[in-house]
Amino acid sequence: MAAWLVRRLAASIAIVWAVATLTFFVIHLARGSPFLPEQSQHTDLATLDRLRREWGLDRPLPEQYVLYLRNLVRGDLGESFGLRRPVADALADAIPHTFTLAFAALLIDFAVGLALGIYQAVRERGVGDIVLGNAALFVNSMPTFWLGLVLLLVFAQRLHWFPVGGPSDPVLCPRVDSLPCLLDFAWHLTLPALTLGLVGAAGTARYQRAAMLEVIRQDYVRTARAKGLRERRVLLVHALRNALLPFITLVGLTFPFLLTGAVLVEWVYAWPGMGRLAVTAILQRDYYVVTGAALVTSAMVVLGNLIADVLYAVADPRIRVRGA
Amino acid sequence: MNLWNWLALGGAAVMALTIVAEIRRHTRTSVAGRRFFRHPTATPGLFVLAFFVTVALAAPLVAPYRPYQQIDIDRLADHAPSTRFLLGTDPYSRDVWSRLVYGARISLGIGALAMVVAVTIGAAVGAVAGYLRRWVDPALMRLVDIGLAMPRMFAMLVVVALWEHLAVPVFVLLIGLTGWFATSRLVRAEVLSLREREFVSAARALGAGTGRVIFRHVLPNAAAPIIVSAALGIGNVMLLEAGLSFLGLGVPSPVPSWGNMIADGWHKMAVAWWSSTFPGLAISLVVMALNAVGDALRDALDPRREAA
Amino acid sequence: MPTTRLARPLAALAALAALAGLILVAGCERPVGCTGEYCGTIVIASGGEPDILLPPVSEFSITRDVTDQLFLKLADLGPSGNTIGDEDFQPQLAERWEWDAPTTLVFHLDPRARWQDGQAVTAADVAFTYDAYTDSLVNSSFRSSLRHIAAVTTRDSLTVVFRFRQRYPEMFYDAVYHLRILPAHLLREIPRNQWRSAALGRAPVGDGPYRFVAWKAGESIELAADSTFFLGRPHLRRVIWRFTPDQQVAVTQVIAGDADAVEVLVSPDNVQRARADTNLATYPYKGSAYGYVGFNLAMPGDTTKPHPLFGDRDLRRALVMGTDRERLLRNVFGEFAKVPPGPLSQLWWIWDPEIRELPYDSGQAARLLTRTGWTDSDGDGIRDKDGHPLAFRLLLPTTSAIRRQYARLLQEQFRIAGVDVQLDEVDFSLFNERARAGRFDALLNVWNTDPTPSSGFPQTWTPAGFGRSNYGHYDNPDVDRLVDQAVASAANRDQARRAWRAAVETLNRDAPGIFLFATANVAAVHKRIVGVTIRPDSWLALLRTWRIPPDRLTDRDRVER
Repeated sequence: MAAWLVRRLAASIAIVWAVATLTFFVIHLARGSPFLPEQSQHTDLATLDRLRREWGLDRPLPEQYVLYLRNLVRGDLGESFGLRRPVADALADAIPHTFTLAFAALLIDFAVGLALGIYQAVRERGVGDIVLGNAALFVNSMPTFWLGLVLLLVFAQRLHWFPVGGPSDPVLCPRVDSLPCLLDFAWHLTLPALTLGLVGAAGTARYQRAAMLEVIRQDYVRTARAKGLRERRVLLVHALRNALLPFITLVGLTFPFLLTGAVLVEWVYAWPGMGRLAVTAILQRDYYVVTGAALVTSAMVVLGNLIADVLYAVADPRIRVRGA
Repeated sequence: MNLWNWLALGGAAVMALTIVAEIRRHTRTSVAGRRFFRHPTATPGLFVLAFFVTVALAAPLVAPYRPYQQIDIDRLADHAPSTRFLLGTDPYSRDVWSRLVYGARISLGIGALAMVVAVTIGAAVGAVAGYLRRWVDPALMRLVDIGLAMPRMFAMLVVVALWEHLAVPVFVLLIGLTGWFATSRLVRAEVLSLREREFVSAARALGAGTGRVIFRHVLPNAAAPIIVSAALGIGNVMLLEAGLSFLGLGVPSPVPSWGNMIADGWHKMAVAWWSSTFPGLAISLVVMALNAVGDALRDALDPRREAA
Repeated sequence: MPTTRLARPLAALAALAALAGLILVAGCERPVGCTGEYCGTIVIASGGEPDILLPPVSEFSITRDVTDQLFLKLADLGPSGNTIGDEDFQPQLAERWEWDAPTTLVFHLDPRARWQDGQAVTAADVAFTYDAYTDSLVNSSFRSSLRHIAAVTTRDSLTVVFRFRQRYPEMFYDAVYHLRILPAHLLREIPRNQWRSAALGRAPVGDGPYRFVAWKAGESIELAADSTFFLGRPHLRRVIWRFTPDQQVAVTQVIAGDADAVEVLVSPDNVQRARADTNLATYPYKGSAYGYVGFNLAMPGDTTKPHPLFGDRDLRRALVMGTDRERLLRNVFGEFAKVPPGPLSQLWWIWDPEIRELPYDSGQAARLLTRTGWTDSDGDGIRDKDGHPLAFRLLLPTTSAIRRQYARLLQEQFRIAGVDVQLDEVDFSLFNERARAGRFDALLNVWNTDPTPSSGFPQTWTPAGFGRSNYGHYDNPDVDRLVDQAVASAANRDQARRAWRAAVETLNRDAPGIFLFATANVAAVHKRIVGVTIRPDSWLALLRTWRIPPDRLTDRDRVER
């Protein structure tokens, strides 16, 4: 087990390194990139000097690459010209917002998805199953940002039930430091999390329904029923436990989706996470921020996969024996 | 919308129905075909796809106005849906229905083309990796791991940020290049099991070279995951393109795409909801149909799975 | 499936949770906070963000809105907006002034004026400020407005002497309007060529009614009232600017109640929605902005060569004549703007619909294009000449919904005329960089003008503005001459009017741009804020007189920070 873990860890680090290298070369190929000293468009002289020194902007490419890696390991992702602060700082402020959004969306995703999937499996081929099944398919096929726009229009602009965007009231709650501010934060979080979560929930529901149905038909469930156990117990204890196993992989698969979907949802709701940071940076041609965000996102995806693999290995002894 | 447009629209619907009926008829004898149509959403899904493709192809007949045409900018902008403008007009007094129909060409076209690029590369890489094994397989699969590490949206954002004035063909190519990784894994798995089969050793015994074996014998039999990938892949590409165009980073004005149509009408949502709503609905419907067809295909072509 | 047994404990749990929630929320102590006349927080939604809070180095109107609360001028414009002579100006930093000689102006500073770090404001600060504004290293865009001032000297710590090169009607205006007095003791040490990135520009120290509190890049700027401000304590305790990706989102926030004020409501349906909202009051005021498509007459990146397309006067004239400006305006603004007869805003007294300009005549435009060799030889709908298509890129910022709308409308108008236009939509700061560097073919720009054309017009349309506001590198000696004449004769209204008219008509004949709109603004401010007076040249100039009656204070207003 330990050997396997070490191998996986090494592989993960290698992947992140590869992504960083690719990013480095891609930026250098692009015209107008600030990595090339004569192309800089920004007049902030002090910052430019610092970058020149620490990133070796006027040195040959291999040297720049080494400095680039060294800076990465030190946590220096460059300087944002638009925000006038180190990229790492800007990302550090933005990541928690993306995480809370993704986490809240994940909660909604699984709560709604699970409930829906179970209900559909139980009422298989019934009216409820068909209607909900198609509705779920429809929601799962929507562009997340479009759903966001529609929800914004109806619930925020027309009905005034929710705010029109942003993470909090800037006057009353610049920081979440009290219960009313926490509630205010949750109120602002509701629509964006719903947007992301519902689209995912639809997919989860479909998956869960199929998984439940497969398990229900299996022998041990029939045995449990024959033993005279009550329907509910049969369902919840036996079927669910085994249908839950692929859930871990589902988390691993959902995570990149959430990070991707978050980009557009954050844009629509002016949510100050990594996605909005990246899009704003693109419009400003703030390259260090764009590449920094892409790199950090990749690292998170790799980490997510690693955790998912570890959890899977822990939960399913068959995996361990195979020594995957 | 005049009479001819309605007639053409009706004709497109009839054509779509005919196509679906023909497909049903021709596949009635095959096991896969019967399994496919056993899915309740398969037929409607096929119909929706056939309908949109037909309408897109027949755009000049179905659309009363040209897509760039700003009909009457001071009197007919943000006009509500009516008999003249089936889905209303956008803030630039362009007929939303006409743009939707021409936009179908762009959005569906980009979806299909990018998918072809992605599936071709993915199938080739997966087949080579699965068949050759040795050092080629781990090397290629590491490449796939790297590709899967960066979410597609971010990869596209990085590329768009660094290249200004991206031409649409390059845009399509790049979308394809960022999306072949999952397909390659599926194809590789399929090829791994296929390579032990008799027809492969027979072909080798007859003196066929590696390339020939892979592309003439193995790959056609690995068609199932490729086809399913393709169907689902188009949907993903359409959603990606819509997102990028919505941000202003995809298809440029004035070319209509369902994504940038949503962007055009976004600011007027409060007073003219139709400009942004209908393109979104269209995307949802088409992707839904693709998902339904993809699901049905997966069950139909995969002999080992039981229908859920 | 029997559900009753599970349902009951679940229902009980839900009820308990609801009860607990209710207790928590109700039991929360409402903070008592600020009460009385000097409370209140105003949240201003803005579609743009300042670049740097140092007055000489920034041209953005949003920057000016913020810095005008932080830094004082010697005197400010009165309610009449008259810029001639000195009777209609109000004392600010200077408590009184007199003319020692026809070209010598003496200011006596108010001894009560203090910098927010405690130091007194002295005449040395004024002299330092003048020196900085006219320093080529600082490269301020206001430099040319001060060219008639020969020298600024100090007589003692509270007396400043301005000496002019000649006598002309708007001397006083030139001396006071643009100079925001800076703290010499803090800025002296910073090398002039680094002012654009100075740390003091991110955390300024001023002498105005408000003091700087915080700037969260990309999000907000917060200012707090200076309770010891010598001209009267501001009523509103805090001012917060909230930045949004574009102006339309800013308007949406105000209408939704997330913000209290917005400078311009942009479109007719926004005005309608604001008027229908019971919490908002709308304030129409004379617009000081005009928008236009500016052609780059020089080659992008090399100002010594003419632009391959727009160096040709006939081409420019054809493009102007092929644009139906009236209809474009009606689509975007409805009734809330007018087509200007030149680069003029509605605020300027020289506004005259009779000024001669190129008419809208698509037939003549087409003939002109064909005559100059642009014909559609390959049938693709786009004209070409010598193998080159008639195509160019239009630069515009993503932050302005108005410009985005105009861009798409223009794109289609030009396409019908056989011209291929591609849009370059970039961020606001990038737009300004490219504009100033001349890296564009044509751009869609909006100017917020000064109350008088004397300074702004030459800066944008004469060589005095090269490298600064004259983005398109337009230069016509006749126009320069006429403008000088007009400025010199400002006291004689009729003579000045004739000269200005001649200048604008000459410029119109050269067609350096397509003048699209001159706004008539409507601002929206929350109803609980009273005493709202808006000066057309700078809508927040009188912010310190706005107030909220104590009985209308909301939770936001009572926050004490």
